Amino acid sequence: MVCIRKATIDDLLAMQACNLFCLPENYQMKYYLYHILSWPQLLYVAEDYNGRIVGYVLAKMEEESNECHGHITSLAVLRTHRKLGLATKLMSAAQNAMEQVFGAEYVSLHVRKSNRAAFNLYTETLGYKIHDVEAKYYADGEDAYDMRKELKGKKSHGHGHGGHGHGHGQGHGHHHHHHHEHGGGCCSGEAKGVTAKADSK
Amino acid sequence: MRDLTGFVETRQQLLTLKPNHRMNWIGFAVAHHLNSNALKAVEILEAYEGTLEDDFPPDNERCEHGEMLLYKISLLEESGSLERALDELHKKELKIVDKLAYKEQEVSLLVKLGRFEEGATLYKALLAMNPDNYRYYEGLQKCVGLYSENSQYSSDQIELLDKLYKSLRQQYNWSSAVKRIPLDFLQGDKFREAADNYIRPLLTKGVPSLFSDLSPLYDHPGKADILEQLILALEHSIRTTGRYPGREDKEPPSTLMWALFLLAQHYDRRGQYDLSLSKIDEAIEHTPTVIDLYSAKSRILKHAGDLAAAAALADEARCMDLADRYINSECVKRMLQADQVPLGEKTAVLFTKDGDQHNNLHDMQCMWYELASGESYFRQGDLGRALKKFLSVEKHYADITEDQFDFHSYCLRKMTLRTYVEMLKFQDRLHSHSYFHKAAVGAIRCYIRLHDSPSKLTAEEDDDISKLPPSQKKKLRQKQRKAEARAKKEAEGKNEESSASNVSKTGKRTVKPVDPDPHGEKLLQVEDPLAEATRYLKLLQKNSPDSVETHFLSFEVNVRRQKVLLAFQAVKQLLRLNAEHPDTHRCLIKFFHKVDSMAAPVTDTEKLIWSVLEAERPAISQLHEKSLKEANKVFLEKHQASLMHRAAVAELLYALQPEKKPEAVKLIEESTNNPVATNGALGPVKEWKLKDCITVHKLLETVLDQNAALRWKERCAEYFPFSTYFGGRLSSAVANSAYNQSKNPENGSADHSQSSPTVDPLAPNGKLEAFKDLTIRP
Repeated sequence: MVCIRKATIDDLLAMQACNLFCLPENYQMKYYLYHILSWPQLLYVAEDYNGRIVGYVLAKMEEESNECHGHITSLAVLRTHRKLGLATKLMSAAQNAMEQVFGAEYVSLHVRKSNRAAFNLYTETLGYKIHDVEAKYYADGEDAYDMRKELKGKKSHGHGHGGHGHGHGQGHGHHHHHHHEHGGGCCSGEAKGVTAKADSK
Repeated sequence: MRDLTGFVETRQQLLTLKPNHRMNWIGFAVAHHLNSNALKAVEILEAYEGTLEDDFPPDNERCEHGEMLLYKISLLEESGSLERALDELHKKELKIVDKLAYKEQEVSLLVKLGRFEEGATLYKALLAMNPDNYRYYEGLQKCVGLYSENSQYSSDQIELLDKLYKSLRQQYNWSSAVKRIPLDFLQGDKFREAADNYIRPLLTKGVPSLFSDLSPLYDHPGKADILEQLILALEHSIRTTGRYPGREDKEPPSTLMWALFLLAQHYDRRGQYDLSLSKIDEAIEHTPTVIDLYSAKSRILKHAGDLAAAAALADEARCMDLADRYINSECVKRMLQADQVPLGEKTAVLFTKDGDQHNNLHDMQCMWYELASGESYFRQGDLGRALKKFLSVEKHYADITEDQFDFHSYCLRKMTLRTYVEMLKFQDRLHSHSYFHKAAVGAIRCYIRLHDSPSKLTAEEDDDISKLPPSQKKKLRQKQRKAEARAKKEAEGKNEESSASNVSKTGKRTVKPVDPDPHGEKLLQVEDPLAEATRYLKLLQKNSPDSVETHFLSFEVNVRRQKVLLAFQAVKQLLRLNAEHPDTHRCLIKFFHKVDSMAAPVTDTEKLIWSVLEAERPAISQLHEKSLKEANKVFLEKHQASLMHRAAVAELLYALQPEKKPEAVKLIEESTNNPVATNGALGPVKEWKLKDCITVHKLLETVLDQNAALRWKERCAEYFPFSTYFGGRLSSAVANSAYNQSKNPENGSADHSQSSPTVDPLAPNGKLEAFKDLTIRP
């Protein structure tokens, strides 16, 4: 029915139009360019059989904090294209990429307190939990739930680790500290662990 | 700016100056790539790699290093060194972090190298990761030799494809793509069976986009008829037995409603609006709380020509969920289509951030809205406001072009090189995007109209002012100017007040720029509208050179500018693109008619132009050894049955020989509205389209014969009973129409419409009166 694929630069104008049509939280094109030019692996679109973009997910990696985590900037699916599991598929694709490419440990997002449908999607289908409440987060004064989902992410460490989120690129970026909390066995430093992960669904 | 050789030089200098900055190596490589020297870029990247330690990169740079490697490999691919690219890819597998990109790059190389078996295996692995990506299925088909660009397959191929997808289906049972793709290549009974199995579970589940998913199939010959039989059979079965044909389990009550919904959209596509509306009304009666039904009905009414009713219905839908911006946007879209601009504005700003709400739509680059408003203002003759909207869209494109500047250095640091290069290409063809195209076309049309009737500010103003004697006109204009200046001063005063209060409230100054030209009047006072139009025209010609519209507009502009050769160039392009199109014929004949009626060439330039035309004219087959009148006749003989072609011929007949006006009118009036060919997307309907009939009406009214126009209007009202333009008996334009009666079922239709003869169908009700006696059918 609807094709789920990585977004390309040519999709950005359509993503912006989809966002403006569906959501009151909007962004200028430069912000879309910023996302795709920083984390091209994290942007996905849903394209229907007529070639129209009917949904998208805009995501990023958070650079500020010490822990490496992903963040969902924006997600929308046209009302006419609901009941197809598109939001779930888009989110899963972005989450998997966050984990696989950047080694994200968790994903965060904000959702309106009153948005029952979205809240249920995140909690029941996708496994997010409420982390905090941010009062008056939205421009119209509504509160937001700050939600998080832990990723399986504690993979094998040492040299074989997949990339972390970006530092500031000149060869002396941040030091991310690794969480060696799990039991031994997987810390063999083998690169194999990383490739095996990618092949599983 | 794209001074690529200069870029290479600069990058070389930077590298020489600071060779220990990674960014300078990368920048130098990219410069060569952009300067069409991909292999040189590869050399530089490998030199850079040579400077790194063996266990590079450190953990926090793995991603960036991986991206650089993928970029290098893509350069090798681009320059045709496919084996080397594949080798490099395999060698560096461990250092490439993005596994998905790795696989996608690998499969691309394998396919290009003709290693199809390996490619097929890899596509299957990709499908295991994402069975919803159509591109992978396409790739797989290509690898097993079962792919055709135009989806034409032999019956052997169809069998093989069928087998392929049946096996894929066993592996990816949950993927809808495996079930949908076969509908494209299957034919006849097999198609019917597959479509039946596809549709049933989606009807039960109640998937609103089912029709939109199936709609491309309507263009495959014969499939629309099969789908009709199929859906009608399903509807009948559920209605009478509550089950699908041949099934034991009962369907939930909603299935009938979704079947009716599908049927309504089906008939809409087939052009049978009366049937479509009756089905959707039935669905609404079944379950009045489903918003999708109202949206669909609104769409059907729009297709049938009742824009006001469509807008009213869209508003009703909107009021059923005030928290949803999508329905709000759809409602605004319909209002703008119905030329209800102030109402559309008011509705749209319900979802914008507070402050200067209307400007927020501009700040957020909401181009669909600006285009729709612009087009509405144009239809209403308000050229100033129309231009303002079209120019706002242009401004957004200018801003987006500027956006790229910060990313030149950013991307070199972030190493997202493949995407960066894609972004540069995107910027280079930015103005071919459809929103810009529409804005340019809109602006050009405004400027043409402005040139043709310069004193028109707004339609009403012109009427009032033109009736006054010149001295009074002058006084009135002076008064207007004073009033405007006063209003502007007041606005500025208010702005200062509010910004002063802003200072006290928030402690910082929020300066809101006053719009000096809110209604676009300054834009109208432009010295040379055609020069402005030419600016846009050049962009269209560069970016949309294969669009008939581009060259048609070029013709119109250049004829008015007296640029003979440019107009001729437009004619030639039209002949190249579509010689049989009525607009092409119109331009061709009009051009040579004008040329023939021009004075003999005097200046050297004129003589040169003349000689060019003399040389070119014989090459045009339509005019070969014929007079213009004869060419017109020949064109008619070729296209006797087509309304639009006949209309073009009639227009030209009158232009060439004004004394033949009655004959021209007769030509149009004798056109017959034949039934469409069978087996296509359309059902048993007549050929003429509403849009075309409106164009013909305008031609009759403005150019040919008012009485004929009236007769035409009456005739078309019969063909298009829902059209408000023609005052069809079922449209909301007619006070006692069946439409208005059906809107008030509870009150007893006859009485209501009798007591209020001026019933206003345009009043957005927004009230949920219809739900007072709500019952849900079992």
